[in-house]
Amino acid sequence: MAEAFVLDRGSILERLGGDEEIYAMMVDMYLQDVENNCTAIAAAFTQGDAAALRREAHTIKGLLATFSDDGGAVDAAAVEHQARLGEIDGLGDAVGGLQQRLREVAAVLKAG
Amino acid sequence: MHTVLIVDDSDINLTLIKALVLKLGDCTPVLFDHPVAALEWCRSNVPDLVIVDYMMPDMDGLRFISAFRALHGRDEIPMLMITANDQKDVRYDALLGGANDFLTKPIDRVEFSARARNMLSLRTGQKFLADRAEHLSALVDARTEEIRQREKELIFRISRAAEFRDPETGAHIQRMAHYSQVIAVGLDLSPAQQQLVLEAAPMHDVGKIGIPDYILLKPGKLTPEEFEVMKGHARIGHELLKDSRSEIMKAGAEVAISHHEKYDGTGYPHGLKGNQIPLFGRIVAVADVFDALTSERPYKRAWSLEDACKFLEDGRGKHFDPLCIEAFLAGWDQVLEIRQRFRDEEAPQI
Repeated sequence: MAEAFVLDRGSILERLGGDEEIYAMMVDMYLQDVENNCTAIAAAFTQGDAAALRREAHTIKGLLATFSDDGGAVDAAAVEHQARLGEIDGLGDAVGGLQQRLREVAAVLKAG
Repeated sequence: MHTVLIVDDSDINLTLIKALVLKLGDCTPVLFDHPVAALEWCRSNVPDLVIVDYMMPDMDGLRFISAFRALHGRDEIPMLMITANDQKDVRYDALLGGANDFLTKPIDRVEFSARARNMLSLRTGQKFLADRAEHLSALVDARTEEIRQREKELIFRISRAAEFRDPETGAHIQRMAHYSQVIAVGLDLSPAQQQLVLEAAPMHDVGKIGIPDYILLKPGKLTPEEFEVMKGHARIGHELLKDSRSEIMKAGAEVAISHHEKYDGTGYPHGLKGNQIPLFGRIVAVADVFDALTSERPYKRAWSLEDACKFLEDGRGKHFDPLCIEAFLAGWDQVLEIRQRFRDEEAPQI
């Protein structure tokens, strides 16, 4: 389980070339989509759809990495890897953990 | 203005990349969140740069790249594939599969701008070269056509020079050349061959330039000795035209040497038989004789069409190639139209 998410606004902005406008736009989009992402990964897991679970985990990995959440991205990569192998039965906790992480990041972004 | 196609199933990535593309300047982003729809768009649109994500539903980035590359004229459009940092194998596959470069997630603006600008510069260079090649090609086509027209005009004038020393007329050249084309069409020759025989046929009698006037212009019947000299025009014409690098001249040489050969081997200068006679020679023999028969000359009246046709029919397999006779008669409507178009009293069209 990754450590608590700490917003590193500086590193994110550096990657975006210091563009505050793009940063703000991405935060807005993340906040708008976060519940959809949570729902999509939960549905993929519940339906036993390994391919969809792999894809959703991949998307979450990208999202979290965008906000420099390396720990969360590593957790998502682990789910993606297991799903690629088709071994998804024991991933309930990991999927739940990713949902929690997405919401945690959302809360921090909203506050920050 | 560059068109940049962005294909990513993630809205946030689409938005981010779109914003970064707009920051490049002079770019119009076109967004698709589904690769199949993007591919459909690509069938009728040519982007200047494609940025495609790897992991997408229904069709991943690798498959998108190969499907895009398979479209006509899309093999050189720059493509950037977006992959995660831990997907080294995917990056290799992307490069081998036709991607020009890749971007890693999370996307870094500096890296993105540098790679995208490189790709767009590549595209600008491609377009410049393509435009230049197209321009040069059009220029070469125009010049070639000019030279070809000049060559045709020259051939016609050379042919006319020979005909001027003869009772025959410029209209005769036009008619027999077009009759030759009618036969070529009836024989189902290629359009290029049909055109070639049309252009080469006028040179059939160019060797008459080398025949003395007292023979060429003699009003009465030639003595056997004079006729032997007259027969030399086939060889003279061939000598004049052979060894040219021009396709038309080469075909003209063939026509000149062979248009007095007869299918049964009784013609001249070589006494060739049947298919030994070059096809253009067999074709021109029919066209030339038919026009000579149906034209008025100082020493003879024009034959009726019926009599001329009977002469051709009677000569089938003897003087003429039967297939050429059939082809000529099959194009009878065109033959009549050609007779109308090129009348003796009218000035020849050059």
